[in-house]
Amino acid sequence: MKKRAIISIVTTAILLCTTAYAMDDAAPDYPTASSKKVQYSPYPEQNFPNKVYFGDTHLHTSYSTDAGMVGCTLGPEDAYRFARGETVTSSTGVPARLHRPLDFLVVSDHSENLGLSPAIAESNPKLLENEWGKKEHDLVKSGTEGAIKAYENWMHQNAIREDPLADMPELSADMWQKEIDAAEKYNQPGLFTAFIGFEWTSMPDGNNLHRNVIFRDGGDKASQIVPFSQYDSFDAEDLWKWMQDYEKKTGGRLLAIPHNGNLSNGLMFDDVTYTGKPLTRDYALRRQKWEPVYEITQMKGDGETHPSLSPTDEFADYETWDKASFGPQPKTPDMLPREYAREALKRGLAYEEKLGVNPFKFGVIGSTDSHTALSTAEEDNYFGKVTLLEPSADPVRFDEVIAGRPAPKGYQMYARQIGSAGLAAVWARENTREALWDAIARKEVFATTGTRLRVRIFGGFDYTEDDLVRSDFAKYGYEKGVPMGSDLKNAPEGKAPAFLIRALRDPDGANLDRVQLVKGWLNAEGKLQEKVYDVAWSGDRKPGKDGKLPPVGNTVNVKEASYTNAIGAPFLSAYWKDPAFDAKERAFYYVRVIEIPTPRWTTYDAKIFGVKLPEDVPAWIQERAYTSSIWYTPGSD
Amino acid sequence: MLNNKANKKKNLIRQWLREPLVHFLAIGAIIFLSFHLWGGGGPGSNRIVITPGQIDSMVMRFTRIWQRPPTSNELKGLIDDYVRGEIAAREARAMGLDRDDTIIQRRLRQKLEFMAEDVLNAQPPTDEELQAWMKEHADKFRIEPKIGFLQVYLNPDKREKAIQDDAQKMLEQLRAAGLPAENISAGDTLMLPGQVDLTRLSDIKKMFGSQFADEIIQVEPGRWTGPVYSGYGFHLVYVTERKESRMPAFAEVRQSVEREFLALRRKRELDAMYEKLLNRYQVTMQKPIEQSGTANAATVDSRGQIQ
Repeated sequence: MKKRAIISIVTTAILLCTTAYAMDDAAPDYPTASSKKVQYSPYPEQNFPNKVYFGDTHLHTSYSTDAGMVGCTLGPEDAYRFARGETVTSSTGVPARLHRPLDFLVVSDHSENLGLSPAIAESNPKLLENEWGKKEHDLVKSGTEGAIKAYENWMHQNAIREDPLADMPELSADMWQKEIDAAEKYNQPGLFTAFIGFEWTSMPDGNNLHRNVIFRDGGDKASQIVPFSQYDSFDAEDLWKWMQDYEKKTGGRLLAIPHNGNLSNGLMFDDVTYTGKPLTRDYALRRQKWEPVYEITQMKGDGETHPSLSPTDEFADYETWDKASFGPQPKTPDMLPREYAREALKRGLAYEEKLGVNPFKFGVIGSTDSHTALSTAEEDNYFGKVTLLEPSADPVRFDEVIAGRPAPKGYQMYARQIGSAGLAAVWARENTREALWDAIARKEVFATTGTRLRVRIFGGFDYTEDDLVRSDFAKYGYEKGVPMGSDLKNAPEGKAPAFLIRALRDPDGANLDRVQLVKGWLNAEGKLQEKVYDVAWSGDRKPGKDGKLPPVGNTVNVKEASYTNAIGAPFLSAYWKDPAFDAKERAFYYVRVIEIPTPRWTTYDAKIFGVKLPEDVPAWIQERAYTSSIWYTPGSD
Repeated sequence: MLNNKANKKKNLIRQWLREPLVHFLAIGAIIFLSFHLWGGGGPGSNRIVITPGQIDSMVMRFTRIWQRPPTSNELKGLIDDYVRGEIAAREARAMGLDRDDTIIQRRLRQKLEFMAEDVLNAQPPTDEELQAWMKEHADKFRIEPKIGFLQVYLNPDKREKAIQDDAQKMLEQLRAAGLPAENISAGDTLMLPGQVDLTRLSDIKKMFGSQFADEIIQVEPGRWTGPVYSGYGFHLVYVTERKESRMPAFAEVRQSVEREFLALRRKRELDAMYEKLLNRYQVTMQKPIEQSGTANAATVDSRGQIQ
């Protein structure tokens, strides 16, 4: 009989002091004796955003019941430590570390019975006082079968929207306070921003209407409330009301970031409100105020556009998740226009024409939505969507069903189809809660699918091609126009908007293939239009007869999971003036930057774990960035 | 003098009492004892005792939900359910189900570690402890160097083979011009600033990449030098200002020292706890059975070394 001994490996404390310098800098700077102050073309008082900060606004830890009940044992402190670049041992015992630390992190645990799992683990006395809590506790402690049952019980409570711990508000408050304490402990203005936040998990019939709520404030204000949950309401309008009440009560500030319209079965950007009423001017105003940005890309699919919505866009089919939601209802094509960002931005223009206000006027960011407490968005350092899927040769890492479990066969999405994405990039002057939050609120942000490429766009009526090489590019850009996330209004007679665009690849990443400008507009006949322009590209490629630029090529060695920067360009810039501008038509413009092909995480897995490459996902991908739009509105000041 | 000796002993006991591991083991012992003396039979026992207190709490829980006390039939049902639960749990343990069940294992382990943490958290470190620890881990708290510099970028895609010569020529021009270097725009455009004010090395790394950061730290201030390489191409640089890395005063970084101290203490104490518990076990590691061979068991000592 073959029997293997269970070996528990106990490691002695090995303190790896590989980090050379502290992330600490409380002291003021004193000039050293030898330094002499040299001024090179000193600019007058600059106050525009001059740095890009990369982070994640959407990360779960064991405090989220759908993470903690299915294997995640790491808490908020681990999450912040990992984001700051420390080595953390994952829930499955694998040491994990980021190649480069993040600049900021929001731990956004689900507010529905926040902290249930750690409360079970520690046999929290308050939890055990509650009948349901005690039952869950005992089930989980009885073993795998019981734990699965316990998880199902909790899911059931969510489905029927009955808070099983409604009589235990102190438990929620305790757990929320622990989340706040962790953020306060790791927040270090100027060096690392630990935001306080949570996820409101509205999921009517399994359709995803989730929002991450992010506090500009510290614990003094955030601890005055307990998070709003879907037990309180399915309806985002109620969430906004709650946010308003919070601001009134505490003097603090909140914003909410929706995500995964692709899993909403047409509800995310619906033509009616949640309660079935037509959209109004008032609704549009509130949605704009409370939801300034949308999470356009993350692990559960990319949400820019869908190939059937943008059939001539050869980059539209990227990490597409279009089979199902978490409910039983299969996806149908008529839902798609109400699920994807580009289409929503377009439909927003039509609503603006009708209501006077655009309900879908949002900027964009990316984030992970990882449930492992480990924010990993890189292809070669991907720790999975959930603990079960952490790195290993186990087939489960590719084959687990993620979405569409209750749907008919053929409507499932599998673990191998999860993307290793994304990041939120913020233009700001300093790394503080206030500065980053303000930038998100004014939409001066962009999304990447996990790389740290930088992109900047200015729009205005007076730019010329020569401005592209100015040494005071940013200063000039702000003086004569507007950055991403802003508005252009009322074009001067005979002028069209012109754009200055610069894109720089990730300093330690892959070269750029091309920079594209995406325009959406409402034409004179009231029809919504879109067009993708290639505005800068590497090498001396010439667009073909169809106007399409040839592909950049491909250096990916699938077997070795490698690529080289022999193709593409590290830096691209473009001056682009809208050749088909009509001053009377509403429009938006955003930039999409495409990298050269690089191996997908599944390809790295095949190489590292010696597993078979799955056939239904690409071996390489072209990672990208999407900027927030610049909107043009006619006839207004 | 006598007092002194007594004090010393007192201190020793106090120190001993402060030792988290001692606390942890003590708690363990109490739980173990109370389970046997009061709980009515341990995991291996076939005695199930239901105390009046337990019945009270069953009644209370029922009442809270149904807004009335249970009938005698219902109470019997509750008690039966409890007994079943106890039996199931003990049988499962006897059959070793909990051992093979990773979920149970993970839960038990989490609970054990939570308990150890509670003990630890009750003992905040003193400033003296933190200061001593900071000294031991100086590298963790050293403030990194900062560099201010000017840079002129040369794009290899644009200049191709001429880039080396261009760099040399431009370097001479820049040196001749000194500062302020009006002709700095002679370089190519890049989305990174030509002038970087005094900036932490890690931030320079974020902007220009690791290679550039590693090189610029070596550059002597006060003259044009280069090229320095980055993933983007060539850079001619003039370091205007440099602040060496330095050790901060304790007061500047107290909060971080405490945070890191606690994080590492937690890890260290858990490791120590397991190490200590491991002494009670003999772990054997069986070699996989060869096609025709027999299994040889290797014994692992408490340090994890194979004997």
